[in-house]
Amino acid sequence: MADPATDIVVMESIDKSFPGVHALQKVNFALARGEIHALVGENGAGKSTLIKILTGAERPDSGTIALDGAQVTIRSPLHAQSLGISTVYQEVNLCPNLTVAENLLIGRQPTKRGHVDWSAVNARAREILRGLDIEIDVTRPLGSYSIAIQQMAAIARALVISSAKVLVLDEPTSSLTVHETQQLFRVMRKLKGEGISIVFITHFLDQVYEVSDRVTVLRNGALVGTYETVGLPRLTLITLMLGRSLTELDDITRHKAESSQHIGTDSLLEADGIGLVGSMAPFDLVLHAGEVVGLAGLLGSGRTEMAQLLFGIDKPTTGSLTMDGKPVRKFSPIGSIERGVALCPEDRKADGIVADLTVRENIIMAMQASRGWFRHLSTGEQYRIADTYIKLLKIATPSADQPIRNLSGGNQQKVILARWLATKPRLLILDEPTRGIDVGTKADIQKLVLSLAEEGMSCVFISSELEEVLRTSHRIVVLRDRAKVTEFPGDVDDQAIMRVIAESEA
Amino acid sequence: METLSLRLANKRKFLPVGATVTLFALAFLAGTLLFPAMRDGQSFFNLFITTPFLLILVVGEGLVIISGGIDLSVSGLVALTTVASAALLRDGWDPWVVIGLMLAMGLVFGAVIGLFITYLKVQPFIATLAGMWLARGLCYIISDSEIRIYNPLYKLLAGTRILIPGLADPTTKKGDYVTILVVVALVVLAVGMYIAHYTRFGRTIYAMGGNNGQNEQSARLMGLRVNRAKVQVYMLSGFCSALAGIAYSIYVGSGHGTHATGMELTTIAAVVIGGMALTGGEGYLLGGLFGVLITALIQSLIQYNGQLSSWWTSIVIGALMLVFIGVQGVLATLNARQLTARRLGGAGGGSTAAGLRRRPWRDRRVLVGAAVVVAVLVSMQVVGARNAAPGPGNSGTGPACAIKPFRQDHAAELMKAGAVIAYERNGGSGCVDELSAIYADGRIVADNGTQTVEKKASPADVQALLGSINDLGWFTDNMYSTSETQCGQCFTYYTAVSYAGQVKTVKAVDGGTAVPANYWLVTAKLSAILPTFGPGPQ
Amino acid sequence: MKTLRPSINLGRVVESRLFVPVLALSVILLFDLVFVRGFFNLEMKDGHLYGSLIDILRNSAPTVVLAIGMTLVIATGGVDLSVGAIMAIAGSVACILIDPRIVGLNLQGNITAVVGDPTYSFAPIPVVILLSLLAAVACGLWNGLLVSFGRIQPMVATLILMIAGRGIAQLITNSIKIIIFNDSFAYIGNGFIVLPFSLFIVVALFVGAWLLTRRTAIGLFVESVGISFRASLYSGINEKMIKLFAYAFCGFCAGVAGLISVSSIRTSDANQIGLYTELDAILAVVIGGTLLGTGGRFSLLGSVIGGLVIQATQTSMYAIGVAASAITAVKAVMVISVILLYSQQVQDLVRKGAGRLGRKQAAA
Repeated sequence: MADPATDIVVMESIDKSFPGVHALQKVNFALARGEIHALVGENGAGKSTLIKILTGAERPDSGTIALDGAQVTIRSPLHAQSLGISTVYQEVNLCPNLTVAENLLIGRQPTKRGHVDWSAVNARAREILRGLDIEIDVTRPLGSYSIAIQQMAAIARALVISSAKVLVLDEPTSSLTVHETQQLFRVMRKLKGEGISIVFITHFLDQVYEVSDRVTVLRNGALVGTYETVGLPRLTLITLMLGRSLTELDDITRHKAESSQHIGTDSLLEADGIGLVGSMAPFDLVLHAGEVVGLAGLLGSGRTEMAQLLFGIDKPTTGSLTMDGKPVRKFSPIGSIERGVALCPEDRKADGIVADLTVRENIIMAMQASRGWFRHLSTGEQYRIADTYIKLLKIATPSADQPIRNLSGGNQQKVILARWLATKPRLLILDEPTRGIDVGTKADIQKLVLSLAEEGMSCVFISSELEEVLRTSHRIVVLRDRAKVTEFPGDVDDQAIMRVIAESEA
Repeated sequence: METLSLRLANKRKFLPVGATVTLFALAFLAGTLLFPAMRDGQSFFNLFITTPFLLILVVGEGLVIISGGIDLSVSGLVALTTVASAALLRDGWDPWVVIGLMLAMGLVFGAVIGLFITYLKVQPFIATLAGMWLARGLCYIISDSEIRIYNPLYKLLAGTRILIPGLADPTTKKGDYVTILVVVALVVLAVGMYIAHYTRFGRTIYAMGGNNGQNEQSARLMGLRVNRAKVQVYMLSGFCSALAGIAYSIYVGSGHGTHATGMELTTIAAVVIGGMALTGGEGYLLGGLFGVLITALIQSLIQYNGQLSSWWTSIVIGALMLVFIGVQGVLATLNARQLTARRLGGAGGGSTAAGLRRRPWRDRRVLVGAAVVVAVLVSMQVVGARNAAPGPGNSGTGPACAIKPFRQDHAAELMKAGAVIAYERNGGSGCVDELSAIYADGRIVADNGTQTVEKKASPADVQALLGSINDLGWFTDNMYSTSETQCGQCFTYYTAVSYAGQVKTVKAVDGGTAVPANYWLVTAKLSAILPTFGPGPQ
Repeated sequence: MKTLRPSINLGRVVESRLFVPVLALSVILLFDLVFVRGFFNLEMKDGHLYGSLIDILRNSAPTVVLAIGMTLVIATGGVDLSVGAIMAIAGSVACILIDPRIVGLNLQGNITAVVGDPTYSFAPIPVVILLSLLAAVACGLWNGLLVSFGRIQPMVATLILMIAGRGIAQLITNSIKIIIFNDSFAYIGNGFIVLPFSLFIVVALFVGAWLLTRRTAIGLFVESVGISFRASLYSGINEKMIKLFAYAFCGFCAGVAGLISVSSIRTSDANQIGLYTELDAILAVVIGGTLLGTGGRFSLLGSVIGGLVIQATQTSMYAIGVAASAITAVKAVMVISVILLYSQQVQDLVRKGAGRLGRKQAAA
């Protein structure tokens, strides 16, 4: 239980909802003094919302936050900073065009007779960085250094300028090399020794074990639990994160068994050694008509990267792609659409919806793109298509003319799905199609995927929820660390998958 | 290998300014080689003497652009300052009070614009555009016609020569000189540079700009007072515009709403050529100095050449801008690529750093820019050769003519004394100043300051002339005084016509003016009837 | 089964995209009704219709044409500052083609060359028009290439042509202002078929643009690219080509506007043609409701009305005696008012008010 004597931050019963999504359900979180506390969870688990509340970027609907024993209401990020809670994001919110020294001290530069004393600025900056055991040329622009150094600078600024007591590191290691990660950990341990409390958000489980004292697991907006890292086996951790299907066999599994008989024998799409330097290690993959292939793996394992390579958003640097036996030359979204490949992207806000356009326009967009500029779908046809899918997917909207931004997240997702279904694809890649959608609709989408497979459509199904992947896939591909590891048949035991994911390289 | 790329990275920020300075030096050197007239030291200082107001503007505009914004209102405020100060001086106000008042006006103007941009979230492009329109409109509300400035202080400030120590002889008062305005401009530049690098305000300005607006967010998160700095930088720009306006009014000796037309474009071009990225966050004001010098140098070179139309200036400036924008883009891409390379180095990407260093000069944008500059230079040679055929209009070997003010009072007297047409033509490559009066009885008297020539036409001819002027339709109520553009070899015209009991006047019309087409037919007809001057003392 | 479309109510009128421009136009016309006598008089002379209203329509032709082209560019999230320069270039090309002898002449100062014979034209007029428009489209493509493939910011990219373009236009005519007496060419800007001929050009262009954007997928793609470039990419829309098209079309419109301008004053004056018209065009588009900077949804009709608003304001100010040059001050006030009207804070206020009205309506 939370104890004000040892805990510097106590968040109790934090609840937060966004339109259509219950992001946090009465979550409790306590951060002890002088500890490194890891926060893990898959997409949609709620960790970013929790952190936004702690750092003042969002306000909770209900619940309390206590800092150093006293109740606080955190009004804004600047306010959080002044209270001693500092955050270092992955994008490093500093100014890359200014020098390192300046970034550390801007706003508080030492002055001499009214003007900025540059030699003092540089000296003080060097001194601060030495405190973190870093020796670099502080007169160079921050942007000329690697992300690792930039993060150090951000941490240094947070500690010294804001005299932070709590440091939140949001996915700090995603862009770091192994060596740089070790450097970061050294700094973190040093700070911990000085009594700073660190919240460490990451999806790299190795790192959780390497550096954290305790770990909190969130799933689907609820707190799963807080555990001592030392005594927690990897497999247990993964199980807690991904969850187990405790429910009964349902229609879907039966449906799947039936539809597997319709899987074609000829390959629809063959990826042979496809890879992208810096993004995805070369992999082989064969897809058949009428087959649902699930991609399982943790966040950052390369699922989205694989999808983007198959769809043509990224051009591969190695390997070749063959469709219906013919080599693929045109690696672009439109090329893929013309071939009958569709991708429903993961980030619907940035890559999916076109916010100001109506539901109808969003639905027919990809279809229209495949027809080119001049073969225009008449307005009547557009309404017809839109209405068909609104009914089919049960999209809740007053009319097809609603701007899509007025719809709830789940319904927006359905509209994007409709967009891709309208192109009558032969291969549909779904990247987290059920994220932020209510349970009933999730089941609907899973059923839809299987029935489409029955009609001969092939599907690649990506989801953070392992149970979902298991339920809908005829075959499962497991990824880890930007590489394909192995494949399993669809009725595999989820433990087997988690074991594969859990194996570390060391 | 690593240290080489590191050293390169450190100095990379100076690359744009270095390029500008080098370009200036090369161009100047080329000029001295090609044109003997340029070897005189004074030709270097002339670059400063003709552009002090631009330099002052570049300081203000440069800081605004570094902060990530843009200020299009500068030329409007310059014009407004010239008109307002000329009007006040005409009414007898003390010149120092006037100067102080104008500077205060600049601050207020800039503050209002800054508030609109910061708190009402109006885009800088639109807000400053509206500011420019407002300022120019106010000019004409104050005065429709040009107001000349006769104030002795202004004349003193305009005319005083400051001899350059070491290059001039103080006893004979001969040698290389600059004007007081130049000194003021350089002081403003120095102050601007101090602000940029030694004050917290200046550092906030740098922190706010660049990185596609991301920096502004970061700066806020770092606790910097971004909103306050935004308003202040526009106030500073307004102040510089007002100061530049005062300098300009001293330089041309008058105030008019058409002054400084297009100056905001030249200012922005100078800023870009000076190495300050339009996206903000980088660059040095010193580069702006050289940007101004380059634009002045280009204009001079073209005029020294004499065979090229002065419009080549704008083409060359456009081409240079393209090159510099390309360079800036390349540097930005290089930085981004470096970061990505490092980041992905851990995830299995090979070392692409070596490949990077070879690529920048093959980047599309620099290539296109360089190709454009080469094409421009080649066409200049071709056109120049074509125009080399001797002709009356192509003999310019000296710098642009300082167009003399119209003898409006004299013309009015002539009209009162019975002239039906008073016509003055100033400028051109020969730098003339010819005032002619045509009387109803056919007498034509023309005087160019050194000679007076008379000619007798028939009264019928004069009547026919008046009739055709009327027929051409421009003798109507819809005529008004028009713009005045910097046009190196243009003529400017002043015409007063008395017909059917009314007098219509068109003032200060030059080569760049929007008048109904037929006006040029009028000048053509007038030229036909006027006497010609013999060669006389210049 | 077609989905039900909501019926007209006051709330929707206020929310309609054309509300602001129509409101602005109504305000000005109301002002004229009250303060300017005889503003709405129309009379028929020699088969032509005359009157202040006709003047507004005729004088607004270049601005409206520019606004139509500018709308697409702004909808993609960009802007084209060089349209005035493109107008000058198109005008110069036209004049040179009518009398190429000009280029060889060396004239005193900048006295114009007079092309006397009303029927003389070196190239047939249709060819003149075609080549001028081609030159304008080439300029537009240049801008488009810089923005799409050069990935240069639109404001910066078009600034280059804005500065250099007038120089180019002057070069084409060797700095000489050419007066054209050719009747066929002059007809473009001066002819009448009851109404001014340029009006018919504007209408034709508007109809063409409307067909091109709303009866093909181009309009949808332009809006999509402006709103979310990434989502458009994922949906298979070729963002580079759409932007290229938008700038080329804007260049085309600038060419048309240039021909109308040059023809109506019968001179190619490369320094003055289209000076500051780019600003008028941008203002017209902004009044019409297309958002500058972000782009997205656009309204051609809104931009046309916006252009009429600007011209009507100008004409009204002349009519009550405001000097031509002071108009800019009035324009400034208008820009700011419109921007504020479109700003978030004011919109929220309006929406609340309209909502209250709507509820009263429903309750009644």
